[in-house]
Amino acid sequence: MRRLLTALLPLACVLSAPAASADSLKIGVLATLSGAGTAWGMSMQGAAELAAEAVNAKGGLEVAGKKYKIEVVAYDDKYKAADALTAMNRLAFDDGVKYVVGPLGSAPALAVLPVSTENKMITMTMAFTPKALSADFKYSFRPVIPSDVFSDPQIKWVVEKLGGKRIGGLFPNDESGQQVGAANEKAYEAAGAKFVAKEFFERERVDFVPLLTRVLAQKIDVFELNGNSPQTAGLLVKQLREMGFKGPIIRTGGDATADIVKVAGKAAAENVYVHQPIDLASPAIQNYTKRFEDKYKIPLNAFSPFFYANLEMLFEAMRRAGTVTDTDKVRTALLALKDFDTVLGKVNWTGQAQWKSNQQLDAPFYVAVVKDGKPVVQAKCTPAKCQ
Amino acid sequence: MDFSTLLAQAALNGLVIGTMYMLMAIGFTLVFGIMRIVNFAHGEFYMLGAFSAFFTYAQWEVPFVFCLVIAALTIGALGALVERAIIRPFRNDELSGMIATLGVSVVIQNAAVVAWGPTPRAMPNVVDGVLSVGPFTFPLSRLVVIATAALIFAVFWFFMQRTRTGRAMRAVAQDADTALIQGIRVNTIYPIAFAISVALAALAGALMAPIFSVSPFVGLTPMLKAFVVVILGGLGSVPGAVVGGLLLGLIESFTATALGSLVADILQLLLVILILLVRPWGLLGQKEA
Amino acid sequence: MHDPRLPTTGSGRLPGSAAGRTWAVRLGALAALLAAAALPHFVSNQFYMHMANLALLNAIFTMSLGLIAAVGQLSLGHAAFAATGAYISALGALHLKLPPLLGIAASGLATALVAAILGKILLRLRGVYFVLVTFLAGQVVTLVALNWESVTRGANGLVGIPPISVLGYSLGARAQFYYFALAAFVGVFILLRALMRSQYGRAFRSIAENIELAESSGIDASRYQVIAFAIGSGIAGAAGAVMAHYIRYVSPDTFTFHESVAYITMLVVGGRQTLTGAVLGAAFLTPLPELLRGFVSMQHIIYGAVLVSVLIFLPGGLASIGHRIAKMTRGGRPRP
Repeated sequence: MRRLLTALLPLACVLSAPAASADSLKIGVLATLSGAGTAWGMSMQGAAELAAEAVNAKGGLEVAGKKYKIEVVAYDDKYKAADALTAMNRLAFDDGVKYVVGPLGSAPALAVLPVSTENKMITMTMAFTPKALSADFKYSFRPVIPSDVFSDPQIKWVVEKLGGKRIGGLFPNDESGQQVGAANEKAYEAAGAKFVAKEFFERERVDFVPLLTRVLAQKIDVFELNGNSPQTAGLLVKQLREMGFKGPIIRTGGDATADIVKVAGKAAAENVYVHQPIDLASPAIQNYTKRFEDKYKIPLNAFSPFFYANLEMLFEAMRRAGTVTDTDKVRTALLALKDFDTVLGKVNWTGQAQWKSNQQLDAPFYVAVVKDGKPVVQAKCTPAKCQ
Repeated sequence: MDFSTLLAQAALNGLVIGTMYMLMAIGFTLVFGIMRIVNFAHGEFYMLGAFSAFFTYAQWEVPFVFCLVIAALTIGALGALVERAIIRPFRNDELSGMIATLGVSVVIQNAAVVAWGPTPRAMPNVVDGVLSVGPFTFPLSRLVVIATAALIFAVFWFFMQRTRTGRAMRAVAQDADTALIQGIRVNTIYPIAFAISVALAALAGALMAPIFSVSPFVGLTPMLKAFVVVILGGLGSVPGAVVGGLLLGLIESFTATALGSLVADILQLLLVILILLVRPWGLLGQKEA
Repeated sequence: MHDPRLPTTGSGRLPGSAAGRTWAVRLGALAALLAAAALPHFVSNQFYMHMANLALLNAIFTMSLGLIAAVGQLSLGHAAFAATGAYISALGALHLKLPPLLGIAASGLATALVAAILGKILLRLRGVYFVLVTFLAGQVVTLVALNWESVTRGANGLVGIPPISVLGYSLGARAQFYYFALAAFVGVFILLRALMRSQYGRAFRSIAENIELAESSGIDASRYQVIAFAIGSGIAGAAGAVMAHYIRYVSPDTFTFHESVAYITMLVVGGRQTLTGAVLGAAFLTPLPELLRGFVSMQHIIYGAVLVSVLIFLPGGLASIGHRIAKMTRGGRPRP
């Protein structure tokens, strides 16, 4: 035991790095920065760092007559609940962070939200689980639009436009895949089509040909890619086209266009219908894309600007609330923002109907089709409908 | 798609995957047979082979045949180094040796993440197009894999049967003590065996890279399958690895096509556990004294 | 606290000083325990309390794995038993309103029973064959947790697991939980220490050293291996349940192959021969990843490098450093 303590103490000293100076404000990032989810994690870390850069370039964030320099502390949760919990504890108690970009996945979110709520930390999650937002988790916000909100209008539009009746799809056997699979099946049925082949696979699988053979044997018209990681989506497109599937392939959730084109190649990705959370033609987004890609040398994941927008709103809320420490006041000011101008355009908060609290960012989204490796917007959507 | 097409398609898929499993399992079982080492880092050498092919073929546009040679030579040399530096101290300690390879695997995989980033990369196919025979369509890229793997195996088999070093390796595998008495030098045989083993893994990686994608994490699945194959065929048995690899590929393809992937995966694990219990030396392995 | 097999300073000739040493060790242990008990009063940072809790739980996992290793078998499915225990207790608490303490005990017993039955079948295999079969069994558990959706809720995991409470007093907070974890740790430590010093321990050691020799001298090796496997896995099951009530969330990702490898790493780095080694390994490696929380790849590389270096340069693990230093200070004088 004594040796245990002597082993821990020096580490404790290393861990308790010098306290931040009085006029700096720490923003935490809790996301997946290793493994297959890294592209999403980087989109969140990048948003935080770019937002900090923008504020610091103007001399800092001025709140109640004091200038704060923004500092970003990023921790990896390895997409695991236990690691996310440890990292959140560290952000809360060791770094004294009050604002966190994250957590990313649904499992980590469910594990850490009790801790962040208990400590009144404002979080901005990417978790699609309906449980990530509720009146119980007062400080949990979600800038990205989850699939149960956007898939319905999008699926309706796609089914009407393409006239597909028999749908097939493969889903990873993890929490997002299991949820999306069930939600998608319902949405397609509501739109008058039928999910005739729905298969789940373990995440480690790389060869989908046997499963695709099984799916194609059901004579499907349309293939649905939703719920798969960007890399897997790309592999599926590639292997489907190799097997001679010529019908439309649809991705109704989660931006993966860059990876699909990269992995499957331009030719195979032609005519893949993708969910496009942002309008790539807007100057604000183009500017953001350039900043992101110059700095990180990886293609922009379209979720990134949502976190950037949420941070823009957060900073404004701090200014209006006149405090950076009282998160209750900041939360109230944040929720009071209406038609606020961000990188995404004008945005609002919504969610009262589903979650009994307005903690969901409300922004338009788009359906695009890949032409020559680039997404071309076909329709603009709201949670009600696409046109 | 009618039933016979489905069967033919499943059989071809099974063969493609089976040849990859075969190449992985031969190397894995070779090292176990000769050195008594269970190499948990075997999959990482597959991954390195895939990256080697990516850089040489997709970026520097070297002809694919040379890409394979380069992958085998460089990764093989790296394997010999790893044997010398890390595996050698554990010659008489199977368990510690195995744990050491776990450490090696972690280091190689994450070094790859640091060096090349976690994002997957796609590679162009070596040949494009499909072969259509009546109602069947076979992607040419997959047929190439089968042919090349068969060729690689033939070279390996010739080496083991006809060369001095190959015969010495077989002698050590059969009975290390007798081999020593006959003057075979273990200190030269072991690094060669390890190098050949990981070179085969690298070749498998390089061959599969254009079909799948390339990332630091691609080694895990092939390694797990190599485990399953060598248990199926018998730890240490090269013919067992060949038969086991092809068999597993076919079983996997047919069960996944017929029953779906999850049932296939669980059935596979249960089958292997069953074999371990009733016939731990595998289908073609030799019962240990 | 030290391994009886390792030579102590001139044991035969200086009985007085050996006895003195024993007392010194006991006093030291007592002082350490008191210091550990007082820790929450000095550490206000809740994050350190969280790390201390994780270290204590990891020490329990590693010690129980060490018990299985003590009969010469390496289990690559240790986390699978932890997962089983975690699910049993969590489901009991969620559906049957079973008090967590009862659930933890039930988890321990159930996993011990499962391990005993499995052990009867699996322990016919030895060496790498046993390692492979435990590895595969671990994969099966993960797959079942993932796919038996009606019970385990699949990949979504079980949410809202209640914290441990003793006599109506909740141990959900980190500092309170710390006392529970400390008590559990001390209990497991004392239990395993007593076991290793009993006739069982002697039989375990003779099996680990040379199984054929042990069998020919009349020791029923399989029986002892099953006993060690059942107790070790049972403790892992109970500790997994404790973890579930602490994190209050369990999913198929909570205990996987990676955790099994982590426990082996802790055991090897700390020292396979002694209980203290297991504790040292957990105490050293639990906080280590925190040094590079923002750059996990480097963190993994260091982890792997530490593992390989310890195996090559310090086969006895951290626990053997003391003996090495003692040997060096005794000088190069050859032993009689």
